Amino acid sequence: MAEQPYDVLIIGSGASGGMAAHILTSKGANVLVLEAGIGMEPRHRGLKPVYDLPYRGFGKPGRLSHVLQANEFNANQWVDEQQVPYTYAPDARYNWVRARLIGGKSNFWARMSYRLSDFEFGGKDHDGFGDNWPIRHADLAPFYDRVEPIFRVSGRKEGVASLPDGQFLDDTSPDPGAAVTFAAAGKKHGMTLTKIRRSLGDGQLASSANLLLPKAQATGKMTLVTNAVVRELTVDKATGKVDGAHFADTRSGRELHATAKAVVLGASCLESTRILLNSKIANSSGVLGRYLHDQFYIGDAVVASVPEARGGKAPRGLVGGSGYIPRFRNVAKGEKQKFLRGYAFDIYTGGTPDAKYIPAWGAELDEKLNGYRGSAFSTTVMGEVLPRYENHVTLDPKVVDAWGIPVLRFNAKYTDNEKLMAQDAIDTIVEACTESGFEVLHRNAIPHPPGYSIHELGTCRMGDDPKTSVLNKWNQSHDVKNLFVVDGSSFVTGGSQNPTMTILSLSMRASEYLAEQMRTGDI
Amino acid sequence: MKRRTFLSTVAVAPVIAAPVLAQPTPVQQPPAPTPAAPTAPSAPPLQQQPPAAVEVVRLEPVGHDAAGEMVPHFFTAVEMATLTRLSAVLQPALNGRPGAIEADVPAFLDFLIGQSPAERQAIYRKGLAGLEQQAQSQFKKAFAAIEAPQVETLMAPLRQPWTFIPPTDPIARVLREAKADVRTATTNSREFNAGGAAAGGGRRAGGMGQYVYTLE
Repeated sequence: MAEQPYDVLIIGSGASGGMAAHILTSKGANVLVLEAGIGMEPRHRGLKPVYDLPYRGFGKPGRLSHVLQANEFNANQWVDEQQVPYTYAPDARYNWVRARLIGGKSNFWARMSYRLSDFEFGGKDHDGFGDNWPIRHADLAPFYDRVEPIFRVSGRKEGVASLPDGQFLDDTSPDPGAAVTFAAAGKKHGMTLTKIRRSLGDGQLASSANLLLPKAQATGKMTLVTNAVVRELTVDKATGKVDGAHFADTRSGRELHATAKAVVLGASCLESTRILLNSKIANSSGVLGRYLHDQFYIGDAVVASVPEARGGKAPRGLVGGSGYIPRFRNVAKGEKQKFLRGYAFDIYTGGTPDAKYIPAWGAELDEKLNGYRGSAFSTTVMGEVLPRYENHVTLDPKVVDAWGIPVLRFNAKYTDNEKLMAQDAIDTIVEACTESGFEVLHRNAIPHPPGYSIHELGTCRMGDDPKTSVLNKWNQSHDVKNLFVVDGSSFVTGGSQNPTMTILSLSMRASEYLAEQMRTGDI
Repeated sequence: MKRRTFLSTVAVAPVIAAPVLAQPTPVQQPPAPTPAAPTAPSAPPLQQQPPAAVEVVRLEPVGHDAAGEMVPHFFTAVEMATLTRLSAVLQPALNGRPGAIEADVPAFLDFLIGQSPAERQAIYRKGLAGLEQQAQSQFKKAFAAIEAPQVETLMAPLRQPWTFIPPTDPIARVLREAKADVRTATTNSREFNAGGAAAGGGRRAGGMGQYVYTLE
């Protein structure tokens, strides 16, 4: 017999759902967490030599055609695209990368841990485009300050306006000499070389599954149910409030209903929006599903070789580390580029360039690769995608998943602003590489299709005006007061920073607000 | 040879399976008195005893490649000959390490491409046909039979820088795909890894990875 009603039903156990479970249980709430997948256990992983895999590491052809990050080792961790499909307009390919298991994508993220700045929270104030967030960095800073120690973020205080500092484990390692040379060449453009800020977690994992959910479980206040796919939220017709959710047991297909006094959606940006669209609630504004954005992503944007490091003979400290160049475009007062907003990029030094960038084959290729060994200098560019009303998701009227739940249909494209920004990034990096004396082997200004960065954001954005936003500044539905959406769908703009720290901080803030509202009886 | 090795491994396995936790032999009880002499000899009575605890020996099956050779079925004979020559040129045996031919790459690609989406199959089909057609028209020979300098001529598109958007020319396209696929299929092969170890290191070999087993 189920223990009902719960105080709070949390849908999703990833970064946002896990944080909600941690905070709400710490405040005494009795929560039910529904997770669509299962927990990854040690028995799910094991070392294998690549030659023992059926496809020699290539993976089964066509199995995960949209997950360009998939390989034959990790293929089983991603959502099966045949079981849970999605569709997109013929000219608007979208790479939706999903994982369903306890901890969600926080089991696999790159751990890049950055804050948004007021160039994002107050973006409209700087360039007039779009809308501001209803909060500023100062509102979220106290929560960033608490999230960073939980995830044990390493970093260095840099004093860069576009990348606020935080509560870091001090990274005192020296910058690689090649990156220092490069950044010096780019200084005239405003480039600043910073340390990559990375969540260390417990050393092996920095996930909701090991950093948040265990805290919630320890309170004795969390009920965690796996293999539970939510079909829709249910509404009490008398009050207009949500009172629970219909969900399916993915193993048996059995249909169940859970009851709760409040609901927190943390199912991941687009799954939360899908649940709301299927529930036909929280959309009096008409913008649910709108303003889909992410960060455009160009891996190996520029690949170069540092001459002094060739043949594996680099002087000590020249290569072998990484760095991060935060946004430096459109941050100076009065600065006008050909595009709005800006981009950032990671730098990696050392290693050997990929063979595809060497125009040779056979013995000649082998010889050249040996020559370039240890000298690679590569960059990955991520740029802000402007949130536009036109970029959106809807429910596909014809396609359902394995449990009969309508799937999402995407219609999102990058525009000239993103293309101009990408071209500027590559031109600027190439210029700095050349001035640094590096040999540029490859350059590319064409981003992967939308979704590739796995930083999908928006579609359930927050704002002060209920006519133009789905949530208020507390991640609370304007329409349904006991409904909160705490994942990346609440973003108004995404900037060029990886979003996880902001998602975690927003979820912490919203959960504390919800707990207080429940304590005072307002919810 | 591989098959014999495999079979001998299996044949030896039961011999290794020695019980280490066998129960002690039960004490024989004196037979119960029989009420009457039997009219025919009877079987000895079955002893009621728990089954002995036996250590389950872990069998060690090996991969399919130890049991047989791959049988190509996707590419035509001409396509296969072209692909074989191309593979040998792209990834020859070097520095004591096996090359594409030693790693059975043409047969592996026949399997891989044969399972791939139609678009990828077409890249190979059109490209290999293009190489063969160019070899015939320029050198009056099959691609598989032309001289090394002639191969160099036909592979000139690989001298162009790699671009994010692939070339539309069928030959340039297949050369680009094959360069990557042949290299990966070679370095990720059992033969290359074994050869790499024999040559004194595994650099550039596919190596080990953390495999995720099927989640429920």
